[in-house]
Formats: sequence, C-alpha cells, structure tokens
Amino acid sequence: MTTTEERIEYAPEHTPRMQWAKHAPEVYKAMVRLDAAARQGLDPKLGELVKIRASQLNHCAFCLDMHTKDALAAGESVERIVQLSAWEESRHFYTEKEVAAIELTEAITVLTDGFVPDEVYERAAIHFDETELAQLIAAIAVINAWNRFAVTTRMVPGHYTPGQHR
Amino acid sequence: MTAGTGAAATARTTLLDAGVRAALRAAGAAARKGLGDPALAELVQIRASQLNHCAFCLDMHLTVAREVGVSERKLDLLEAWEEAGDVFDERERAALALTEAVTVPTASGFVPDAVYAAAAARFDEPRLAHLVGLINVVNSWNRLMVGRRIPAGSTRW
Repeated sequence: MTTTEERIEYAPEHTPRMQWAKHAPEVYKAMVRLDAAARQGLDPKLGELVKIRASQLNHCAFCLDMHTKDALAAGESVERIVQLSAWEESRHFYTEKEVAAIELTEAITVLTDGFVPDEVYERAAIHFDETELAQLIAAIAVINAWNRFAVTTRMVPGHYTPGQHR
Repeated sequence: MTAGTGAAATARTTLLDAGVRAALRAAGAAARKGLGDPALAELVQIRASQLNHCAFCLDMHLTVAREVGVSERKLDLLEAWEEAGDVFDERERAALALTEAVTVPTASGFVPDAVYAAAAARFDEPRLAHLVGLINVVNSWNRLMVGRRIPAGSTRW
C-alpha cells in the first residue's frame, strides 16, 4: 500500500517552440473572430465532441486538455469523452446526430486520404439543415487550424482552466 | 475555366457564414502580408491544396501563382520538390517541408524537430509565425471547399 504522500517522478514538461500569437497578432485576432463566427448556431456539447475528435486525430495535446475540460464543464460525461476515440464500437453512447457529426469530422480532418465520402456527407445532411451543416463544416475547419497551430508551436497541455478562452 | 465533360460540377452547398468567410479572409491577408513573399505564399498554398486534394483551391492558387510570376517549371515540379534538385532554393524547401508536416499531422505524428528547425533557420520568428498562419489558413479553406465540394473555377463559394 502506497501512501498518498508518495512523490511520482513525471517526465519533464517541454517548452513551446514559439509564441506565434505574439509574432502574428493580426492573424491571431482574425482566428479568434473566425472561431466565434464558426461557433454560432452549433450546440456547445456537440461542438466539444467534434473538437475533441479532431484533436485526437491531429494528436494535439494542448487542444485535448482544453476541449475535454470545456466538455466536462458543459456537462459532458467522462464515459462519452473516454469512448470517443473508439466511437465506432461504442455508437450507443452517442445520438445518431452526434455520430453523423463525428464521422463528418473525421472525413474533413483527414483529407489526405481522399475527399469527403458522399455517404458521410449525406448522413450529416439528414441530421443537420443546410445552415447548421455549413456551421459544422466551418467548426471542423477551425478546430483543425487550432490543432495545427498548437502542434506546430508545441503548446504545452495541462494548464488550461475551463472557459479560459471563451 | 472551360467546362469539362465529366460529372456535373455541382457544389453540395455554397452556404458559408459571412463572419467565417470575412475572418478567414482577414487571417489569410494578414498571413501573406507578414510573410512578405507572394510567390512563396502561392507555392505553400498550392502544396497544401495538393495534399488535401482541393481542386477549387488548386485552380485558384495556380492562377494566382502565374500572375505573381512563379515559373511553370516550379509549378510542374512542386509535387516532387524534394527530388527536384535546385529548382527550389533552401528557403522554399524549408517552407514546403513545414507545409507538409503541418498539413499532415495525422501521418507524420507531430511536426518533427528537424523540419521545424530548418524553417526556423531560414525565417525569423515573425515570418515563421505568419508562414504557420498561412499554412493553417489554406488548410482551413481546403476543408471548407472539399467539405462543401465547391467545383474548380466556381464563382460561388
């Protein structure tokens, strides 16, 4: 039995490569406006699932830290967050609408494998009207951009508090 | 753009929130200005659009590249820039390697130190920040265009 006082030696924390927002403030400000615009009309809990799934695919640790915390703060369950990376085998944790959004997220995130399949788009179009779907596509594009900024500049995960970037 | 004889070129949707459009345009304009190299900007945007298979974006950026004087030889060999000898200089090669690493984090697993260091050696921090910004802006347009299947040459996007 270990005591709660036992000290665990974790690997050292890395430092970011660059403070990109400081060096490109106009780009950053436009990205913040873009993020706000893409959020309009999208259910926040669904938005966080989309952001977490894209961040998993893009291996963005900083973004996973942020969006899992924001999801929990928005009332999301631990189980649904944990199961998200294996959602195809845990579909019953999610609504059909959420599954359609997650599938579309994957298709639009990994364009290098070739286009967005018609069946994926059409399933999403059943659950989202045309305006909502355009916002969902925009939200997917925007989280992909944040993922790439954070991965490229190696932003450090672990220090986010929910709502910090709202 | 001459109409082809293939499948009908119809967008899935041409809807896009005006705020999204305006903000992404502003981000792109700021990124290109900060990079300060219109020819390189087009090479970067074309390479990302190749990787993401964005026909609309390729059509647009190839047109702009020719307008700003990028050579046909560079455009022809861009997809194989690593094997293209001295067609691309070291600065262009560093920018293209970074473009690929940032565009495909799912395959490369992060952005390798060597790729980042090569770019950081040839671009000062403000230019590098704007280059990363530009790579992300074009990636965003790629996703918006491919996701909505906007046809190449379309005037409604």
